[in-house]
Amino acid sequence: MGAVYKKELRSSFTTMTGPVAIAVMLFIAGYMFRTYNLANGLSSVIYAVFNSSLIFYFVVPILSMRVFAEERRQRTDQMLFTAPVHLIEIILGKYFALVSVFAVPVLVLCTMPVVLRPLGGSTPALDYAGILVFFLMGCAYLSVGMFISTLTENLIVSAILNILFVAVTMMIHNAYSMISGTVFTSMVFFVVLSILIGIAVYAMTGFYWLSLGVLTVLAAVSLILSYMESEFITGSAEKVLGILDFYSHFESFVYETFSLTDIVYFISAIAVGIVLTHTSIVRRRWN
Amino acid sequence: MIEVRNLTKRYGNHIAVEDLNFKIEQGRIYGFLGPNGAGKSTTMNIMTGYLAPSAGDVLIDGVSIVDMPEKAKAQIGYLPEMPPLYMDMTVREYLSFAAELRKVPHRKSRERCDAVMADLSLNECADRLIRNLSKGFRQRVGLAQALVHEPEILILDEPMVGLDPKQIIEIRELIRNLGKKHTVILSSHILAEVSEICDTLLILSGGKLKAVGSPAELSREQSGTVVVTVTSPAEKEKLLAALSPKLAKGKVHLSSDPDGLVRAEITLGEENFKNNPDLASDPRRFVSNLLAQSSCPYYSVEVMASSLEKIFLDLTGEKGEPDKKPKNGKEAENGSSL
Repeated sequence: MGAVYKKELRSSFTTMTGPVAIAVMLFIAGYMFRTYNLANGLSSVIYAVFNSSLIFYFVVPILSMRVFAEERRQRTDQMLFTAPVHLIEIILGKYFALVSVFAVPVLVLCTMPVVLRPLGGSTPALDYAGILVFFLMGCAYLSVGMFISTLTENLIVSAILNILFVAVTMMIHNAYSMISGTVFTSMVFFVVLSILIGIAVYAMTGFYWLSLGVLTVLAAVSLILSYMESEFITGSAEKVLGILDFYSHFESFVYETFSLTDIVYFISAIAVGIVLTHTSIVRRRWN
Repeated sequence: MIEVRNLTKRYGNHIAVEDLNFKIEQGRIYGFLGPNGAGKSTTMNIMTGYLAPSAGDVLIDGVSIVDMPEKAKAQIGYLPEMPPLYMDMTVREYLSFAAELRKVPHRKSRERCDAVMADLSLNECADRLIRNLSKGFRQRVGLAQALVHEPEILILDEPMVGLDPKQIIEIRELIRNLGKKHTVILSSHILAEVSEICDTLLILSGGKLKAVGSPAELSREQSGTVVVTVTSPAEKEKLLAALSPKLAKGKVHLSSDPDGLVRAEITLGEENFKNNPDLASDPRRFVSNLLAQSSCPYYSVEVMASSLEKIFLDLTGEKGEPDKKPKNGKEAENGSSL
């Protein structure tokens, strides 16, 4: 793990990705800090940190688009995967290198409450909790971003998918009322979801009939449920959408409620990203 | 050393490798030979653990690459078709990364890197970025990363593709030297390349193993005869006198070439091999010993490549087929109207 970690970290700084990502983050976070705290005199940095989440649109693709896509494109993955190293060590080595680069500007964020202290900053505990969640959220994005980079060897496609993922997770809370508002839209949502699951099953297993079967059963269940249990289906639509809702889990900290659930949520997202990365690489070896 | 059992690899409906079985012995040089798309790279990728087989297994010293990949991979050094190089590293950085990745102990790492760089004459470009190296040097860096952890087995996929003639000679010399300490498996689609350095050839075609054996064995098995050619500055009589007592039943055909050298084509048949195990196992050595014993000077003794070439084409089923078909419909039309 150490070898891959060191190599990744070094290559982040010998290529432009590391410095660019850090510069973008510091620029945006610095601007937010200036606007909210220095110019408008808010005593907590939480708003500055919260609004800095704009960063993820830029930083997640810059950092994670190349992780595995570039290895595959240059065929250097042949060296990594034929070395006497467990696959999970390679994945974790790469992941920790990404997190280390991301941690640099987060450490700078940590100085903000210190700067505010003599100016009347009064909520260091809340500030640091906010920064912690910001950091975990970034780690979750990087973990899923790493998975996305295993899907393609095209860096542009990888970057676009990464941006899309950030966009969906940041904006999906706006779509709640639109999708789960009526029984009909919820039903359509579940049918579309069934089709997507069917496609995913086909991509994973390659069995045409199995995926068609899964698709049909799921779609039929959603149709039946929407006639019989209309409340259940609208509620479930919201719950399913909530799985991808990074934004709301972050937002609760702004309202000064420290919630362990949200922290657990982001840690689970990190784990899911790593497991998916592992699955995706193993699956390609077998196909 | 390596045992490949019932190896099969399918990509969807396409079968890349089908039911491959063979054994690799220690300390020899093996050559995978076959046309493009014969399944050479796929087989190598499975043997090194990069791809998983659809069925079958590969045992490295009795350790399965499917069940215990970490242990099995430690014995192998692999140079894929495209050397897996990180362009933004210097040669030294890259090799020390390779050493660390392959779990070479830290205190030995530097020494090993220096040793492989010296072996492959990479010292002069140790601190240059790999991006700026020429193709030949990149190939050598690729070979260096495969050697850095002193593996028992070296697997080289098309190590000579894209090199200029001088580099080909250098790499060939290098592989020959490596073959003294390591078990080497290399692949190629060019017959002359492999038949010259390999002790044993494995001929693959359409994902199947068509034949295994030394160049002479293959030649004998397939056509029943082996043609050995000798070029010598000696007189015809002297040459004939040196050869004929032991090879009486073989047909010796003598001719002179424009430089005044004598060229002898010795066609050896089954009747020669039956009572002469030395001749059967290595005709080249046998003939050159024969010449040396009677102090007959010679420039070269070779198993004739053209006979091997014919066998290769026969085995891989490529003989004559592509040429007979017209390239497109238009040509066929023109042909009929003429």
